[in-house]
Amino acid sequence: MTVPRATLRRVFWRCLFLQAAWNRRGMQNLGFAYAMDPALRCLYADPARRREALRRHLGTFNCHPYTAAAIVGGAIHHEERVAQGAEPETAPLEYKQVLQGPLAAVGDSFFWAGLRPFFGALAAAGTLALGWPALAAAILVYNALQLWLRWSFFRAGYRMGDAVVERVAALSLPRWAERLRTGGTVVAGLAGGLLAARSAAGGAALAPALVAAGALAGWWVLSRGARLLPCAYGAMALGAAAAVALSRLRGGR
Amino acid sequence: MDYLLLALVAGLAAVERKGFLQAMLSRPVALAPLTGLALGDLQGGLLLGPPLELLWLGAVNLGAALPPHEALGAAAVTGGAVLAGKALGTGVTPAVACLSLALVATLATLGRRTDRLIEEWNVRLAARAEALVEGGSLRAALRANLRGLVLPFAASFVLAPLAAALAAVAVPAALRRFPGALPPLAAGWAALCGFAAAAGARAFRAARGFGLLALSFSLGAVAARLAGAWR
Repeated sequence: MTVPRATLRRVFWRCLFLQAAWNRRGMQNLGFAYAMDPALRCLYADPARRREALRRHLGTFNCHPYTAAAIVGGAIHHEERVAQGAEPETAPLEYKQVLQGPLAAVGDSFFWAGLRPFFGALAAAGTLALGWPALAAAILVYNALQLWLRWSFFRAGYRMGDAVVERVAALSLPRWAERLRTGGTVVAGLAGGLLAARSAAGGAALAPALVAAGALAGWWVLSRGARLLPCAYGAMALGAAAAVALSRLRGGR
Repeated sequence: MDYLLLALVAGLAAVERKGFLQAMLSRPVALAPLTGLALGDLQGGLLLGPPLELLWLGAVNLGAALPPHEALGAAAVTGGAVLAGKALGTGVTPAVACLSLALVATLATLGRRTDRLIEEWNVRLAARAEALVEGGSLRAALRANLRGLVLPFAASFVLAPLAAALAAVAVPAALRRFPGALPPLAAGWAALCGFAAAAGARAFRAARGFGLLALSFSLGAVAARLAGAWR
């Protein structure tokens, strides 16, 4: 007994709701069971066996929402074997427990600390340079990439089971994350320069210098562990104070 | 009507941010223009989106740690600034943006607390789902997952328009009362933009980050200047 393709697509769609009821006890457990349900319905005609399978997937689970697709796919791979009697009922659980930590780490470092902020900075710089078409293009490219990767992970997990680890490792995501972090720093700096140029276009002679000073001082205080929001208020206050001081100096001459 | 639209945009963004999809639509760079568009001022949203994105670029949900609710903050700041700009008849200017941000940005921190409470509440949802599975009501148990989307939607649906209303009332009143504050506030916005660029660059934690920031900042400013002269 295997899960039909249409059902696999339904499971993948439900993977997008993995964190809908994220909770502090089971974390993504409800989302995982919700995603698995269409496949379990195909595999277990007996309601008691289906309930047992669903209970298995209500155990604590937490992973990155993108890379978790590989674990959902792999869990179906193992459930098919459980339904055929080829594996014990503990196999899908062991698979989840072994993979959730490493795939969470890969997902956090590549997607959350690399790809998404890179596209965030790129969208910001693009908006400043070219307006909304650049913003729309950045969002579209990001989503094409992330959805393709999520689907690839899901399919690889389903087809390869435990071997999905090698498939993910072959993508060298940590190395790409490193490059994205370097590239993202550059793009954020470019966006800062564009903000400075744009502020000059507003006619305020002091504004570009204030943007540059804000960036310099910001880097300095943040690298010393200062908190973001109080520093943002400080930047606004100091910028305003600088403008007042300068206007008084000019008025005094 | 404006407030209802803002509430809907903020509520949907809160759902997209964590519960469904995570397609960057709730990131400030996309959400601010979407909010501006919904309220009839796309340009205002485009002015706010890039600095807010850079400011909150490091707001990432790693493991069980909760970041500030950048989507709620961005929706409220943009909503407040656009509505204040409409009331003044100027649109979103740097001074309006600065004052709106100063009034409303702390909502992102309140949003993090709300997220924490929602996660606690969801423990009950999960426990109820487990009980339903034991009782054999499998479909009802699984519906609980989708019910988890209701509270994040509701929290932002309520909080974003409330905070925006505060900015929409206070910002025009303050700027009419103190018209001399316009240049200092615009200067405050410029300094904030620079700070946001540094915060964005810091979020990547790259090696030689400061050198990269300084070099690319200069390049960006010069390139924009040259492009402006060429036009």
